[in-house]
Amino acid sequence: MRYEIRVEGHVSETLAKVFPELDHVVMSSQTVLYGPVIDEAHLYGLLARCQSLGLRVLEMRQLPD
Amino acid sequence: MVAASVDPLGDPFLRTRFALPARPATFLRRERLVKHLDQALLTPLTMVNGAAGAGKTLLVADWAADLGQPVAWLTLDPAIQGPGMFWAYLLQALRTSGVPVDDDIGFPADAGRVSHTLLARLAASLADRDGGRVVTVVLDEYDRVSCPTVSEQLAFVLHHAAPGLRLVIVTRTEPLLPLHRYRAAGAMTEIRNAELAFTPEETVALLELHGLRLPVPAADALVDRTGGWAAGLRLCALAARQRPDPEAYLKEFEAGHSAVADFLLAEVLQRQPPPTQDLLMRVSVLERFCVGLAGELTGRTDAESILAGLHRENAFVEDLGHTWYRLHPLFREILRAHLRERHADLEPELHLRAARWLGRSGLLPEMLAHGAAAGEWDFTARALVDDLAIGQLFTGLRSDDLTELFAGMGPEPASPAADLVRVARDLSHCDLDPALARLHHAEERLTSDDTDDTEAAGRLSCALLQALAARLAGSPKRAEQAVRAALELEREVPAQLLEKHPELPALLLTHLGSARLWAGRFEDARAALGTVADSTAGAATALPREESLEHLALIDYLDGWPTRAERKAVAAMTETERFSLPRASVSALGRLVLAAVAVDRNELAEAEALLDEANESAPHDPVTAAGRAIATARLLLARGKARAALAATERAVTADTASPWERGHAALIASAAHLAEGRPDDAAEVLRPVAGEQPTCAVGAARAHLAAGDADTALELLDVIGAEADTGPAVLVRATLLRAQAAHEAGDLATTRRLLARALTDARRERLRLPFLEAGAWLGPYLAGAPLRELAAGWFMPGSASGEPAPLMVEHLSGRELDVLERLAQLMSTEDIAADLYVSVNTVKTHLKSVYRKLSVNRRGDAVRRARELHLL
Repeated sequence: MRYEIRVEGHVSETLAKVFPELDHVVMSSQTVLYGPVIDEAHLYGLLARCQSLGLRVLEMRQLPD
Repeated sequence: MVAASVDPLGDPFLRTRFALPARPATFLRRERLVKHLDQALLTPLTMVNGAAGAGKTLLVADWAADLGQPVAWLTLDPAIQGPGMFWAYLLQALRTSGVPVDDDIGFPADAGRVSHTLLARLAASLADRDGGRVVTVVLDEYDRVSCPTVSEQLAFVLHHAAPGLRLVIVTRTEPLLPLHRYRAAGAMTEIRNAELAFTPEETVALLELHGLRLPVPAADALVDRTGGWAAGLRLCALAARQRPDPEAYLKEFEAGHSAVADFLLAEVLQRQPPPTQDLLMRVSVLERFCVGLAGELTGRTDAESILAGLHRENAFVEDLGHTWYRLHPLFREILRAHLRERHADLEPELHLRAARWLGRSGLLPEMLAHGAAAGEWDFTARALVDDLAIGQLFTGLRSDDLTELFAGMGPEPASPAADLVRVARDLSHCDLDPALARLHHAEERLTSDDTDDTEAAGRLSCALLQALAARLAGSPKRAEQAVRAALELEREVPAQLLEKHPELPALLLTHLGSARLWAGRFEDARAALGTVADSTAGAATALPREESLEHLALIDYLDGWPTRAERKAVAAMTETERFSLPRASVSALGRLVLAAVAVDRNELAEAEALLDEANESAPHDPVTAAGRAIATARLLLARGKARAALAATERAVTADTASPWERGHAALIASAAHLAEGRPDDAAEVLRPVAGEQPTCAVGAARAHLAAGDADTALELLDVIGAEADTGPAVLVRATLLRAQAAHEAGDLATTRRLLARALTDARRERLRLPFLEAGAWLGPYLAGAPLRELAAGWFMPGSASGEPAPLMVEHLSGRELDVLERLAQLMSTEDIAADLYVSVNTVKTHLKSVYRKLSVNRRGDAVRRARELHLL
């Protein structure tokens, strides 16, 4: 399954490296992280990683394969 | 007892986990929050819940510092995983804060488990403190608890300790507690992210503490941009302070679109001098650090002054007291991202350096964690072995953690120490063959190397594993060799290292005792096992102590002393409960002994239940396997299933050497099966090779000969019985019954009666019913007659001894047994009694059993009636 996670603000290249398994694109005032997610455990892990880095999650959704 | 300042494995608890975090000079006390938090004193549960860097911890720490009463503080971290560790640390936090914790509450000895009894006792002691005093407990970083069981247990303790406990949980995520119930009842104080957010006025005040002046409207915009997020504002202040025109900088920041912490932290970091940047990134691999450790990771001698500077500026570094620091968790994560970007390959190297330093400082658990994180398995295994901590893979609070830690080790590491860890892993799964080959190889290399002091620990570890392997293989000779070698090596190992590891000698002696028991050397086995069973209680040795008690119980059973065996098996189970050991896996032998005792007493349903419980785990050594075969076959024989009984003993126990009692009991069971199917000659034949070895076999042979009509041979065999002092009632009663049968068949009525009276008297105390049922129908008329009927009444014959004087009580009931009895009289169920007394159902059952035994009854109703007759109620 594939997911995209929108977080608030422009995320720096340095911080984006904390999500090596995801691609990212910076938008007007958000950053979209997207890519394959193995399972639920991985998904919750990604959320926890966002939290531990102080990133505010605005939206998270599954993408069609 | 467990010393207060030492965790169950003898490692110093890191005091920083129990320390109230210090508030920095720039901390802004916000009265609205403090006032809200004061409600925490009125509600059982308080939850302070907000994002990373929302200012939760400092708010609660500041409130707690001004409370005027002691607060038990526990900062959780990833090392505290699993219920056993969690409760061990919570108990320690209570002790550290000066709350007396009764030793009776017990102590978890297994990282993964905690007994319900411990929780119930803790709740009871907190609920009912002298003068109705209330304990406030703060659990910081509760989001680190990933195990749902811990939350369940915490909810239980909170519920039952309610009047005496105020629990404050500081967390990023909602805990799995029944929060809705507390909310609905108004029993919860809740401070969430929105309330923690800074208002514009507070922002002005905070910036002022950082030496920045800002008008309220400008602060408004800043609050908008950061969401009033404490960490964001703090970084803002630090970043702006480094600029010539802070206000302009803040305006610029307000207009930007960067992720707040990410951007600001990079800004602040870049403005630090290079050595400071380097230090900050390097220490980000550590949960907490002190000056020496920071120096080790940076290779700098000025780490102390850099850290002091950072702390003075309140940038990143928090003072934990006791000269330890940590990075704010949020900043640490971001700094780690910077470290990875700038020095991609440095992380393993830093972990290794940290491991070396921690090792030199005697902080073994942290050291092992960093060694594993560095992927340096040879080094990590060597550290474990050199510390003599290999026994901790088998027993104590840390066994699960260590096993998990080394689960990441691949096949590559080739050092002897890595092999020893693998052997320990194999042996704990009873994988004997690969373990032996590997152990042999490791031992050769350890002894062929130039022997110096450091190798002694390795060779001692080898000896321990050899002893265990010998026990599992049923090889007493090798066990003796291993223990002899170990005793010699113990002299070469520094004394304080040995003192740190009481589990090592305890495990050695338990393995030795088990192997000696297998070989039938009961006296020698008792000497080894008794030493362990009598040793000082403590979590590190809980498992070997329990195993030793179980083995001692088996010896008593085999000698024919059912009540003694029962008492020891029950003591072993109590030990299990006290130290929250996993029930199914270790107490199999204890249950098997209890099952065998129950069969002798013709309590077959109970025996079956115990066997079912014991069968949940695979037999791990020949002694347990043989015990299982005996108990199972005895139960089947008592149920009249001779063939199945025979089959149960035929599932051969694999062992290097034969065990006389195992052989004897297998033959006894075969003999009984032949007798049951009407083949007395075969029954005598199978016992011929062993009849001379053990009294119980001689009795079996006598029984077969008597059944075959050869009373003379039978009596001859019986003449030997009783010469040995250790022969217990289970054997003697059977022998007396056979003599009685011989007298009966010879027509000697007076002798028959006299012998039967003796058998009944001996059996009554032990409630040995089965021998009389086995003896056959000829007994019936005797027992119906006047003098013997009285001796059989109440415990063997259903006919009550109404109108006759109640038998004297042999033993007095204990206070706890009386408690149970009183509740029994109120028709409470076992479960209700357990809940009422704050003990487990199994404990109540144990008490009930001893009440029944002491009152010589079998049923609840009878127990209450007898207790009334004796004026106990």
